[in-house]
Amino acid sequence: MKTKDVVIGITTAILLLVIAIAIILGGTGWTPLTEIRLLAKFYLENCFNLFDKNYWAASPEAVSAMLWDYRGIDTYYETAVFFLAVISGVALFRIAEVKVGAISSMRRELGLSIIVKTVTRIAFPLIITVSASVALHGHLTPGGGFQSGSMMAVAFLTAIAAFSRYFIEENLKLTKDNFLTLRSVGLITIAILALAPILAGSIALMQNQAKPWSSTPSFPEALGILWTAGSIFYYNLAEFLTVGAGFTLLFLLISIPEEEFRRILRL
Amino acid sequence: MNFEIFLQLYGYLALMVIMVISLYGIVRGASLIKKLIALTIFGDTANALIIFLGFKFGEIYPPVLPTLKPTLEDIAWFVSTAVDPVPQCLVITAVVINMAITMFLAFLVIQIYRLYGTTMVKKIAKLKG
Repeated sequence: MKTKDVVIGITTAILLLVIAIAIILGGTGWTPLTEIRLLAKFYLENCFNLFDKNYWAASPEAVSAMLWDYRGIDTYYETAVFFLAVISGVALFRIAEVKVGAISSMRRELGLSIIVKTVTRIAFPLIITVSASVALHGHLTPGGGFQSGSMMAVAFLTAIAAFSRYFIEENLKLTKDNFLTLRSVGLITIAILALAPILAGSIALMQNQAKPWSSTPSFPEALGILWTAGSIFYYNLAEFLTVGAGFTLLFLLISIPEEEFRRILRL
Repeated sequence: MNFEIFLQLYGYLALMVIMVISLYGIVRGASLIKKLIALTIFGDTANALIIFLGFKFGEIYPPVLPTLKPTLEDIAWFVSTAVDPVPQCLVITAVVINMAITMFLAFLVIQIYRLYGTTMVKKIAKLKG
């Protein structure tokens, strides 16, 4: 037992030493101090270049342009991983029906103190509003679908912590199935948007603006006076729904009281 | 050795120390909950390392063009002052996916606790049937 600890300690120390030497010898590649790499320069130069539209993505925000245009397939698979994580969580916690009626009579006593409840009542709509704003401006300002979805889930998480999960299920009339539907709507929208260029005859999945090697028409970069940056605006909205509803669904499942579960497992 | 290089090396080494410590936690944690916490720290350190690779000294701005009608000078200014957007793009998705995976593992741990009444790895390994 003692020798095992010593061996593990020495192994950890050697690992740290090896990594430190690798870094000092330049193992992280070319890390410039005051300039950026050539790849980053290409993206920054082309993401909103009105004068040379060969490689542009129609989005003044370089990160969103990369996320949904230049490196779109990567984001597509990340969304698939997210889908799998959520669906396996739901599959693990599938139970017939959580009984609400018995506890709802003493609902007023549930949750934290009146100070926390009042503050949450004020903050909850504000957080939802800010998250929607971040999602809608994702192609123009810092932000996007992933960030705004997480913010929306945090709003519901504060509500669960301050009131209880019955606040969401009874006062807001939003059940687990509603969130499952919302998440599915977001995912289907992403899938349709990704496949639309292929159906239109393109060679590229998730093509936003046409690149020199594909001659098909690109997404319209604006709807009237509303600048949508091609498909990035719609992708951000769909991802907002997917991430926000997915995480809220997981939070709702994880906050099911333990007694309910034990009652169901015994049956 | 000037100050910037020292700062860069110091940042890398600090992140690596945290990474190795969390790796030790993943291997040696007695309870599944402790392993899960160490795994979260490991993932966040990896993300911080990627962000750190994109940092640069000097005049810096976020990689967002502040106008919808840029001139060529605007674009040249943007390219020379913005930070590297590639690591930010990588990390945005990784953070959310990390959180989803962590939630899934937490669900698994909760289920194990419900079924076996313990999260200690050694006790779970000795269970029969």
